[in-house]
Amino acid sequence: MISCLIIDDEPFARQEVADLLDKHPDIKVLGQCSNAIEALQQINLLKPDLIFVDIQMPRINGMELIAMLNPEQMPRAVFITAFDEYAIKAFDNNAFDYLLKPIDEKRFNQTLDKVRTNMTPQPMTQILPTQLAHLPCYSGNKLKVVATADVEFIVSDVGGIHVCSNKGFSHTQLTLKVLEQKTALFRCHKQYLLAPSAISEIEITDTGAEVTTHSGSKVPVSRRYLRELKQLLGFQ
Amino acid sequence: MSLILLLTQQMCVYLVIVYLVSKTPLFKLFAETSKRLPHKIFIYLVFSSFCIMATYFGEQTSGAIANTRAMGAVLGGLLGGPVTGLLVGLTGGLHRYSMGGFTDIACAISTSLEGLSAGMISYYFKKAGKSEMVYQPIVVFGVTFMAEIMQMSIIVLVAKPFDQAWELVKLIAPPMLLINSLGAAMFMSIVRDQKAMFDKLSSSFSTKALKIAERSVGLLSKGFDLESSKKVAQIIIEETQVGAVAITDTTKLLAFIGLGADHHIPNTPISSKITLDAIAQNSVMFADGVDTTYSCSISPNCSLGSSLVIPLRSNDEVIGTIKLYEAKNKLFLNINRTLGEGIARLMSNQILYGRFEQQQSLLMQAEIKLLQAQVNPHFLFNALNTISAIIKRDPQMSKQLLQQLSQFLRINLTRTTGLVTMADELEHIDAYLAIERARFIDKLQVNIDIAMIYHHQKMPAFTLQPLIENAVKHGTSRMLDAGVIDVKATLDGDDLLLNVTDNAGLYQPSNNTDGLGMNLVHKRIQNLFGSQYGIEVECEPDVFTRVSVRLPLKEMDQ
Repeated sequence: MISCLIIDDEPFARQEVADLLDKHPDIKVLGQCSNAIEALQQINLLKPDLIFVDIQMPRINGMELIAMLNPEQMPRAVFITAFDEYAIKAFDNNAFDYLLKPIDEKRFNQTLDKVRTNMTPQPMTQILPTQLAHLPCYSGNKLKVVATADVEFIVSDVGGIHVCSNKGFSHTQLTLKVLEQKTALFRCHKQYLLAPSAISEIEITDTGAEVTTHSGSKVPVSRRYLRELKQLLGFQ
Repeated sequence: MSLILLLTQQMCVYLVIVYLVSKTPLFKLFAETSKRLPHKIFIYLVFSSFCIMATYFGEQTSGAIANTRAMGAVLGGLLGGPVTGLLVGLTGGLHRYSMGGFTDIACAISTSLEGLSAGMISYYFKKAGKSEMVYQPIVVFGVTFMAEIMQMSIIVLVAKPFDQAWELVKLIAPPMLLINSLGAAMFMSIVRDQKAMFDKLSSSFSTKALKIAERSVGLLSKGFDLESSKKVAQIIIEETQVGAVAITDTTKLLAFIGLGADHHIPNTPISSKITLDAIAQNSVMFADGVDTTYSCSISPNCSLGSSLVIPLRSNDEVIGTIKLYEAKNKLFLNINRTLGEGIARLMSNQILYGRFEQQQSLLMQAEIKLLQAQVNPHFLFNALNTISAIIKRDPQMSKQLLQQLSQFLRINLTRTTGLVTMADELEHIDAYLAIERARFIDKLQVNIDIAMIYHHQKMPAFTLQPLIENAVKHGTSRMLDAGVIDVKATLDGDDLLLNVTDNAGLYQPSNNTDGLGMNLVHKRIQNLFGSQYGIEVECEPDVFTRVSVRLPLKEMDQ
């Protein structure tokens, strides 16, 4: 049994994929998501084997979504697009699976056959964005997108990962590891990522240092990362 | 007394010469003040020979010569400046010296000084910005008079013996003072009159040229064809009064007005060799009817006797000719020759400008057409996908959507680039929105509030629909929440304001094709209605983007 998620911002487009999958009893649809933020949450929660993902989606597109996923829980992905010359060229070059809208059932079935024979996610790093321009977040129950450039620091605690921008705190589904790899923020503490551009003051303490950001927040720097911070800022 | 008569006779000889010279182009040299060396040399040569002639024609009187040499020296100085004046005086003086006599030295010195001082006075006038003063006969009279008084004084002082000199001066001073001053003044008076006439002539020339330019402006820029050529030819013949005017392109006669119009028929091939030569050689051809005869190639009875053919050029390439004719019994005026070349230049520029404008407008129309034909592929394939998805579930609805999509595409492909009514735009918008609503369902809400009274309002095609498409494409479709687009028509004074507002607030000024599309709509509105109209964008990030179109609220019957 292969579990899957359908991710597209258009209801009928999701419905179409679901209808096509009806004829394949070995594939179970766990759910449908209408944007990348929902999808990120659902993927983390349901851990599907396969995702059908539309490239063109609001705020965070399908490629960015894949880039945000932890490599450990990366599902097998089949892209769907209406029209995207560059992406299609890249897919063809790398033999990635994709479907064109309107979806041709024959091709859909062939793609499923290919997926069944090899469930290992394809390494896509060469076509994915290396830096995330936007971070999908929640503020309470409300979805929002925070521009990476606005982020001062990110802290992880028992409640999850919190993004602190100049507009306040919000919660994100992304892991510290992904954030460290795909943003300009750097690790200054086991639980903290810090944007170098947000540093206003650094005070050396017993345990390392404490950074004050432009908006006045305090971020601890552990001794382990202090040297790197100093290098980054051009000291010594 | 007889001395006065003799000197007057001499003076008259000069004045007759001057009068005759005034009828030739050489005369222009007297009438201008110039720093150029050739001009100075001319002045020097003319007035030096005046001085020398004056000495020859002079009357032997008591061992000296009563003469009109001062005229030459003073005029040379006044027209040529101090250096030329001195040289004229010196030449005349040395010549006089060579003739001998007891006043030889006195005369040589005084003639040189006369030239120099007149030159100094001319220089002074020039510095004071009153160079016109040297053409005043009364001033010339005064200057010559003073110069002669100086000469007489020098003779008295220098010539020996004194008694003889004094006697001589008593005899020759009155006639020489009078005749020299009078002669110089009259000479200058002729120069001044001729100059005034010349100025008047060139001003009438300029007026003519300006009048032709003014009357013909814009005619040819609308196109170089039979109709516009005829109008221009009519203007030219009215303003120049030549016998006939013809305009051709490179192969055929476009217009012919004037003598011989009975057998020179427009829209027939060019027949005259001279015209074909002008086109082939890209040069002005002139058959003056004297050295080069002009004979009509069509009819032996043609009364035209001379012809000027000037090529019309567009970027050095000959695109036609303009021809001026005179009748056999009339002389082809020089002024019309020059004027003809000016007219040709004027026409060439206008034709060039017209072509440029036409190309610009063609380019703009092509750009608009191209943008319109470019249906957003994302929209198209997603629409088809939506129809494909519901075709089994709801065949009726999918049929409807196919109709709407066809309607949308048909309008896109067939709509002209001209003006359409608001009702036409709304039809296009309806077809577009029917599909977008099916794609986004409850995530897209569009409120259109445009009163019926505005449904006849004219606007360039593709004014409103692309704005709504942009609001979806760059606005609401990128929102995580539901998108709302408000379309409103409101009055602002005499203007109609169309606002398209989305609640996304994601507008970013860009150089891509969408930005280009909006710029084109903006430019088109401004071209049609004026610079106070057009498109404005207002954006509060993450709150709203509002695009406003300002149009004149009036009946436009274009």
